[in-house]
Amino acid sequence: MPSKDLGSALLAAAFATAVSVAPLGATAFAEGLRIGTSYKLMTLDPHYADLNENTSLLSHIYERLVNQDEHLEPQPGLATSWRQLSPTQWEFKLRDGVRFHDGSPFTARDVVYSIERVRDFLKPPSGGFQLYVKGIKAVTTPDPLTVVIETSSDAPTLPLSLTSIFIMPHKADGFATTEELNSQARPVGTGPYKFDSWQSGEVLNLVRYDAYWGNATAWSDVTFRVIESPAARVAALSTGDVDIADYIPARDVEGLENRGLKVDSISAARSNFLQFDIGRDQPPGVTGKSGDPIKNPFRDKRVRQALTMATDRAFLADRILLGYGTAAAQLFPPGLSGTSVKLKVEAPDYDGAKKLLAEAGFSDGFNVMLAGPAGRYPGDSESLQAIAQNWARIGISVQPVVAPFSVFATQRSNGDYPVWYGGCSGEAVTLCLDAVLASPNTDLGTGSLNYGKYHNESFDEMLVKAKAMEAGPERNESLARATELVMADYPILPLYHFHLIVGHGQKVGSYAVHPRGWTTAMQATPSED
Amino acid sequence: MSIITTVGGRLSQAFLLLLVMSLIGFVGIHSVGNPVYNIVNIETATTEDIRRATIALGLDQPLWQQYLLFLKNVVTGNFGTSYIYHLPAFDLVMSKLPATFELASIAMLIAAPTGIMLGLLAGRRHGSSVDRNVLKASVSALSIPSFWLSMMLIMLGAVILGWFPSGGRGATVSLFSREWSFLTLDGLRHLTLPALALAVPNIALIARLARSGTIEMESQDFTRFCRAKGLSSRRILFRHTLPNISVPIVTIVGMQFGGMLAFAVVVETIFAWPGVGKLLIDSIQLLDRPVLMATLTFVSVAFVGLNAIVDLFYAVLDPRVRLSA
Repeated sequence: MPSKDLGSALLAAAFATAVSVAPLGATAFAEGLRIGTSYKLMTLDPHYADLNENTSLLSHIYERLVNQDEHLEPQPGLATSWRQLSPTQWEFKLRDGVRFHDGSPFTARDVVYSIERVRDFLKPPSGGFQLYVKGIKAVTTPDPLTVVIETSSDAPTLPLSLTSIFIMPHKADGFATTEELNSQARPVGTGPYKFDSWQSGEVLNLVRYDAYWGNATAWSDVTFRVIESPAARVAALSTGDVDIADYIPARDVEGLENRGLKVDSISAARSNFLQFDIGRDQPPGVTGKSGDPIKNPFRDKRVRQALTMATDRAFLADRILLGYGTAAAQLFPPGLSGTSVKLKVEAPDYDGAKKLLAEAGFSDGFNVMLAGPAGRYPGDSESLQAIAQNWARIGISVQPVVAPFSVFATQRSNGDYPVWYGGCSGEAVTLCLDAVLASPNTDLGTGSLNYGKYHNESFDEMLVKAKAMEAGPERNESLARATELVMADYPILPLYHFHLIVGHGQKVGSYAVHPRGWTTAMQATPSED
Repeated sequence: MSIITTVGGRLSQAFLLLLVMSLIGFVGIHSVGNPVYNIVNIETATTEDIRRATIALGLDQPLWQQYLLFLKNVVTGNFGTSYIYHLPAFDLVMSKLPATFELASIAMLIAAPTGIMLGLLAGRRHGSSVDRNVLKASVSALSIPSFWLSMMLIMLGAVILGWFPSGGRGATVSLFSREWSFLTLDGLRHLTLPALALAVPNIALIARLARSGTIEMESQDFTRFCRAKGLSSRRILFRHTLPNISVPIVTIVGMQFGGMLAFAVVVETIFAWPGVGKLLIDSIQLLDRPVLMATLTFVSVAFVGLNAIVDLFYAVLDPRVRLSA
């Protein structure tokens, strides 16, 4: 072992000399990048499941027509520009001179193929992506670099929907099956990295695609190692086994910084909140102080408001998330499109809350079960404990119930809980407004996370109107107004937007954390020296 | 004739065991929760998505029907497709097997000789300081939780000394169309820490067993006779004591080896070692029933097989077993 150490030390010294002598920019010498990620790559089919678990790593190989910047605004990807021909027609101009990794040129046929594969070919359990293309009636190709997409109803945000669809090269003999993509064939896309090898749930090796249309990437090859345990990810980063590690627990940040490693973070495009059962007269798990059944208190807006006033959200963000969280007053962090700048998190007011409770007829308080998943989101179970103490101050005795996510999700949809901890994320705030706050409606596809059956007609109307507007400041303004209107009714209790924390070693100069939570080599810039 | 009945009895027992195990596993995973919430993106999926995925997976059928269908498929050698990875479940288990097998083997290759040597030494010098130290060390080694031991090994071997990597499998070489890492230097470096983490409690267990066996044997008449005959104490220890205490040791080595194949969950998770144990716990957490059932079946078969091997060893080690059969 000593001789080998000496050898590698000499090698490193020689390498260091070579680097310092050569007049090279940061991108000029080829270096590999090793990333430890919590995302387990489940499949190589880019259309199989709409989970960051897959899309984050596959975005090295495949690209979309439209990309999303750090404010979630659409940016040109494989499409250079787009315009609306009529309320139900969009025209996309495609990038010229793009070639797939197998050398075939990228044309409109590939776009048609990819959209149709998601819409018509893939069957459940694959899913999630259909949502973005099910409104598409027809895709036509006037010329090889133009695509006209016709939708069955108004689609003002079609470009945003297409930020989720990866483009695959078309096949002459029918659609590629998921099994094919997983087993024999090497996945072929237009992205900055080519597929080299993989082991599902273990490792993914990528090499630079030299004929990439965009800016040359800084890394000659990229190795992703799936390390699911956060402690093991931190250890791998500390020992230099990986150059980047994602989802660093807040409590480990200080230790990493002491070791000379750097940490970047950003507020995630999501929120975690408490939801109330509003639909039922007598939800389970709520009783009066003497244990007798009572009428559903959460139907009264004053109760929901009192609970919100009695929750110390700044404490959750500062102490439980150690500052790597922002106290929330709405679904997405302020600053992202469609959020309100007016909604603020108030400091807790226990006396005011008690007064409101008394007005609502609950001067003695009540007993309630507060349910949540354990270890699914940063600070989930700890938050429930803190909230239980907060609410005790206004006479509400809380029994926190924590379960593994799969158990929790099953119980929640069975309707076993009166109040529970939930979360929502997505490519745009409209997705969460639709899912969490809009009334459940199967035809419109709204309210899929509205397990508490909250109804607010005026909000529903405002949201439908805002969604029908063309993308731009006016639409964002209307969404913000709708959010303000609905939040004044305290339909949910927003807790916090946790921060995505990514740590990196010396090889990486900076890492641009994306609010969608992707972990990619493209976000890493090599250090200057 | 008697061999045929023994084997037949063994096989029918094994078959019954597999059936009971599959029933428990099937009902157990069903009662934990609905896997569909792990398959669709719960934060964006619509009710319709969830309903269609439920139907596609056959989860809308009554449980007994799902179970019968599962049994029918297993008879034809089909464990189904993983809900999560969309790969054939049994292939997935088999692809994780080499990693686990080499880890468990190396851990046992460390644990068995070390444990036996320590146990013989301690038992031979019963009451001495060596004996007391072995006893103390084995108690603490057995009471250390394996996650703590693993973290400490990473701390020492990877973070402070920097000799070993903190996790992962390292470079592999293809042999029998499977990937193995014990054949490369890098792979061996990756193997060292997790193998140690698995070996330490087993060293303690085997050492205690060997020690108590040795103490018992030392007081037997035949040992005293050997000593009276003038045999060296080393010869007594290795030629007479060791074979006599080896039956319980072989039993425990077999059981522990089976345990490491299936349930080295903690060590595999902390060292990001892509093995069967990690697959098992992942499939429980994600409610990936096909993979869970394939893993459990594999584990049961492995235990049955190991037990058969252990029984064969009895016959090799103990002439009385041979004679009675």
